Amino acid sequence: MKKLSQDLEDTLLDYLDGNLDPSRREAFEQILKGNIFLQKRLEELRTADLVLKQSAVEHPSKNFTAHVMGRLDQYPARSSASIRNGILLLTGLLIVMGIAVILLSAGVFDDTTTLDLNNSDLIQRYIKQSLPQISVSGKLIVNTILLLNLALAFVVLDRTILKPYFQRRIQTGH
Amino acid sequence: MTNKEGDLVLIDRILDGEQALYATLIDRYKSYTFTIALKILQNRPEAEEASQDAFIKAYHHLAGFNRQSKFSTWLYRIAFNTAISYKRKHRYKFQSIENTVIEYHQEAEGMLEKTDRQRYLNLAMSKLNEADRTALTLFYMQEFSLEEISEIMSMQANTIKVRIHRARQRVAEELKNILQKEALTL
Repeated sequence: MKKLSQDLEDTLLDYLDGNLDPSRREAFEQILKGNIFLQKRLEELRTADLVLKQSAVEHPSKNFTAHVMGRLDQYPARSSASIRNGILLLTGLLIVMGIAVILLSAGVFDDTTTLDLNNSDLIQRYIKQSLPQISVSGKLIVNTILLLNLALAFVVLDRTILKPYFQRRIQTGH
Repeated sequence: MTNKEGDLVLIDRILDGEQALYATLIDRYKSYTFTIALKILQNRPEAEEASQDAFIKAYHHLAGFNRQSKFSTWLYRIAFNTAISYKRKHRYKFQSIENTVIEYHQEAEGMLEKTDRQRYLNLAMSKLNEADRTALTLFYMQEFSLEEISEIMSMQANTIKVRIHRARQRVAEELKNILQKEALTL
């Protein structure tokens, strides 16, 4: 049997589901009458539809509920470790930020470096025009990193410490 | 009181410390949860374990459940994700079997209560990928709208609609092939 176009396949399913408006349905039925391939395909789709509709919902074992209820208290062990890891991660982040702030206030990153791309052999060989110099401020870079660290610290605080802590309090009813 | 409202009342009481009431929610939704896991994993013991894990995860995240959607939709999404991660974790075990389809066929044959129709359908469904199989199963459960299926599977409703159409066409094709083969062996 030749393969039908995807549009025709979709229309057959819409016809089967009763999703075609009356005029389109009538027009499609006319096409169907004169096309034996379409009729066969419709029959295949209808058979599959019937079998799928009759397919049963599966049932788990009889002691399923008892098993789940018996395992309910095993799970929280993971979240207590995650709070400790969160505190460690947060402490690490704060230490790094503290060191960066001390170095920043001591003026370690006050210098501005200028990148001169024209000195590169590769650029001289392939780009004939002179390129502008790029100045890089150490202070700006460290400030940006500090800001990103601060945002990360808030996320760590929220996800790994505060949220599990309050969830546990709600669950224990305190 | 609708099922949704009933679920919310139960959830509030469970969160207030009545843990035993969670068994009511499990009894209410265990079959569909298990069916979703089974369609993805195609192995009853694995599906049983994955669906149990889904219920346990749901219990421990109950306080964070967004009450705008139905509890069942939220639970089935957890079941879907849990089964998918089980499938990934046990990929080696699954793929080490030379021909999964044959294994599944034999397993299906071993179940005396399964009708031939169900066996053929299982064979045809085993040719689909797990997402298509799940979408098709949820669609034919006739419990969910396309929007709910899309929420459970974290996909766009349009994508789900296309997936279901393609999966129905594929199942029809596979059923035809299986029945032709069966007829030749008679």
